[in-house]
Amino acid sequence: MQDVCLGYGRKVVLKDINFRVMPGEMVGLIGPNGCGKSTIIRALSRIISPHSGKILLDGKDVSRVPRRDLARLLGVVPQMPLLPSVFTAFEVVLMGRNPHLGLFQYEGPRELAITWRAMEKTGTHSLAERRVSELSGGEIQSLLMARVLAQETKAILLDEPTANLDIGRQVEILDLIRDLCRENSLAVLAALHDLNLASQYCDRLVLINNGRIQAEGTPREVITPRNIKEVYGAEHCVYTHPINGLPTVLLKAGNSQSADMEERGA
Amino acid sequence: MSRHQPGSAFTNQAPPVHFPHWRGRVYAILGLLVALGVAMIFTTAVGSVQIPFSTTWQILLSKLPLVQVTPTWPGTLETIILEIRLPRVVLAGLVGGALSLAGATYQGLFRNPLADPYLIGVAQGAALGAVVGFLLPSPWHNMGFGIIPLLAFVGALISTAIVYTLARVGKTLPVTTLILAGVALGALLGSVVSYLIISSGEKMHGIIFWLMGSFSLSQWSEVKVVLPYVVVGVVVILLYARPLNVMQLDEEQAQQLGINVERLKLILLAAATLITAAAVSFVGTIGFVGIIIPHAVRLIWGPDHRFLLPLSVLSGAIFLILADVIARTVLAPMEIPIGVITALVGAPFFLYLLRRRRRIIF
Amino acid sequence: MKLKSLGVIIILAVLSLSIVTGCQPGFQPGTFTDDLGREISIDGIPQRIISLAPGNTEILFDLGLGDRVVGVTEFCNYPEAAIAKPKVGGFSTVDVERVVALEPDLILATSIHEAKVIPTLENVGLTVVALAPETLDGVLDNIILVGKITGRSQEASRLVAGLEERIKAITDKTESLPESQRPRVFYVLWHEPLMTVGSEARIHGLIVKAGGTNIAQDLTGDYPTISLEAVILANPQVIIAGSGHGSGEDSTFQFAKTEPILEDIDARRHDRVYEMDADLPSRPGSRIVDALEFFARFIHPELFPQI
Repeated sequence: MQDVCLGYGRKVVLKDINFRVMPGEMVGLIGPNGCGKSTIIRALSRIISPHSGKILLDGKDVSRVPRRDLARLLGVVPQMPLLPSVFTAFEVVLMGRNPHLGLFQYEGPRELAITWRAMEKTGTHSLAERRVSELSGGEIQSLLMARVLAQETKAILLDEPTANLDIGRQVEILDLIRDLCRENSLAVLAALHDLNLASQYCDRLVLINNGRIQAEGTPREVITPRNIKEVYGAEHCVYTHPINGLPTVLLKAGNSQSADMEERGA
Repeated sequence: MSRHQPGSAFTNQAPPVHFPHWRGRVYAILGLLVALGVAMIFTTAVGSVQIPFSTTWQILLSKLPLVQVTPTWPGTLETIILEIRLPRVVLAGLVGGALSLAGATYQGLFRNPLADPYLIGVAQGAALGAVVGFLLPSPWHNMGFGIIPLLAFVGALISTAIVYTLARVGKTLPVTTLILAGVALGALLGSVVSYLIISSGEKMHGIIFWLMGSFSLSQWSEVKVVLPYVVVGVVVILLYARPLNVMQLDEEQAQQLGINVERLKLILLAAATLITAAAVSFVGTIGFVGIIIPHAVRLIWGPDHRFLLPLSVLSGAIFLILADVIARTVLAPMEIPIGVITALVGAPFFLYLLRRRRRIIF
Repeated sequence: MKLKSLGVIIILAVLSLSIVTGCQPGFQPGTFTDDLGREISIDGIPQRIISLAPGNTEILFDLGLGDRVVGVTEFCNYPEAAIAKPKVGGFSTVDVERVVALEPDLILATSIHEAKVIPTLENVGLTVVALAPETLDGVLDNIILVGKITGRSQEASRLVAGLEERIKAITDKTESLPESQRPRVFYVLWHEPLMTVGSEARIHGLIVKAGGTNIAQDLTGDYPTISLEAVILANPQVIIAGSGHGSGEDSTFQFAKTEPILEDIDARRHDRVYEMDADLPSRPGSRIVDALEFFARFIHPELFPQI
């Protein structure tokens, strides 16, 4: 079970992208703003098609698989999706069951139970009756996590899943993702802004810069001072985490062009 | 917000009260079905000619297969009830249901609360066809079937085809271009229709009356033609209620959740347009039903299309049947065009909706 | 003696036969063709007649069938007796329920009912005859037709004969008038928008028969709109304005008489703007000949001073 990505380019936004995600593995996609992380995610979920090259999921070419089957294999947590404001949280998460329902089938008790459990796991079950229009950004992101859980796929793509969350929830959600990844042997690809989170949680990282893969490998291999300087223009930020030895990026005022450090705000 | 505990920890809360919600809505559907039946019977008993209710009841009963009722009424009353009023009531129900469902479908597909069944040019195409039919000389009208509904239907289909072709971009059908093309073509056709009306001489009155919509002179032959189109269209759309829910997310998400968006758009648009064309061809363009009823249903019973769609059909049918009764009895023997009644009811309701915007309904 | 009684018996037999075949001499059951090209068969003398147009009502009353009329429209206002009859509809809308409840055996319709009303009525088994005369002669033919259908052929023939005489009195003097002696006539149907009669209207025929030239004769259709400039350009010598329209309104006449833009045309300068009850020339009944006589007097006062 693998996401296999062979070379592709789109209006020459990205070229020669090749990487693999194995089941049970969490791969982080990092890079500066606008480098194309979302584009890769969309290509993987077949929203856009590659100019050249192929995308294989579980050995099958993604562009050939019927959409519903694709949705059973691959779930996506989008970055800033449009959600209908009148639906309740529960109903939105319930939509995650769609790929598993036949064309004219309706949601039965099993679907409701799965949905409910997904919401419990993400801590959103207390929101179930509330309308989407009443929820905060962070709550919505947790909701999207729940939806993709309810979708019960073999692979998950995440586009900035923690952008609006506070530190506590970020850790919660990423812990959850990693646990699920290990427990259920999911292949997970997450586009992350925050280098530290990427370093802590991902087994491997793919660093995109200037339309190409700049570096690929374990966090230690990828988050190096040289890479950081080349890609982000920030110097002398890479340190080692005191507890687990993974690379950590710390700010120092006076470092010019620290464009990569998204505020991990409260 | 409870904190997530590591591992799989279920809180011991049971799933909240979803089932009762659904149950309530299912009861609503059943209730409306009954209401529809009652409405049909009562409105058949009312008209510009006074007929005692018991007589009406007996006449209707006598038509049921196994019921034996000895006729004690003059034949003309039976003619009035069965050949003049009943087809009219049935047709009003069919058209009301069709237009409401089409409106709900368009609103769902376009994710736009202002969408109505006439958005993409169906009404104007039908109007043009009908006006052409009106202006044809006598021999065309003696052919044994209605030339006007036929031309109206053809006009509706042609204009929809044109709009579709204009709006298509490669293999996709972007929603905004569809709306723009529909509005533009509608305006063009509308101006042609206006010109034809001005030059129509003595037929102007009849044409304008038709355009405002009317169930007068409905016959069973018309019902027989409209029925299959509406039934097929309604069934198809109802089957796709759940995917239509998912379509309320943006198209990207819907695709990521396994919906074949382009195919769904095509099927639903085709079905909704078909039932609208069938309805309009025989009855004229009745406004407000397609846009107001779905909103009212949404306000009361929520946006879940699995309930919204059937409830819209039933509510629309009842609404139009009642509106038709008003249209034909208030100023008897003159008839008020039914579009006037629906506007009189619809416009204040629309304003009421606007005032309730605090509670977002879309 | 025997011969005489035989003769009496024969005469009695013939009379009774004619009583059996419709009560009156002059009625033959049969198939008739109406103005829409439809074939209708009438088997017995209609006793309960409904009229769906004011013109038809007038014809019925003209032929003395007033007591057989059981339903008329809201707009049937002539003669007086028609106003009291039960109403079954408006201009192009017909309340089918009321029609059926009145149990008519004959319905007189017109061309505007062709599209929907007639099929609906026939669908419930009623007999409909449509009258849609395009000319003055068509109106006379209609009178004869109605006479035949209702067993009043004699009255119809008499009526038509009288009308033809009056018509002839006019056309004798006007038929041979050359173009130069035919004044230009502008008939104002309505003033907002400005509407007149084209070459296909019955009123156009009246103008011609009355010895005038319709300034709108080149316009197609029966009731076209016309621009003020076209009127000024045509410079009519006589203007006839229709008033009444069911409400006693004379705004059209006032317009013709006082509209400043039209000051300089011949008709205004010589004060030849005339008012006329719009029903007379518009309705296809016997009063159309009254209209013709008015037209004749307006257009050629020198030829018809006494009307």
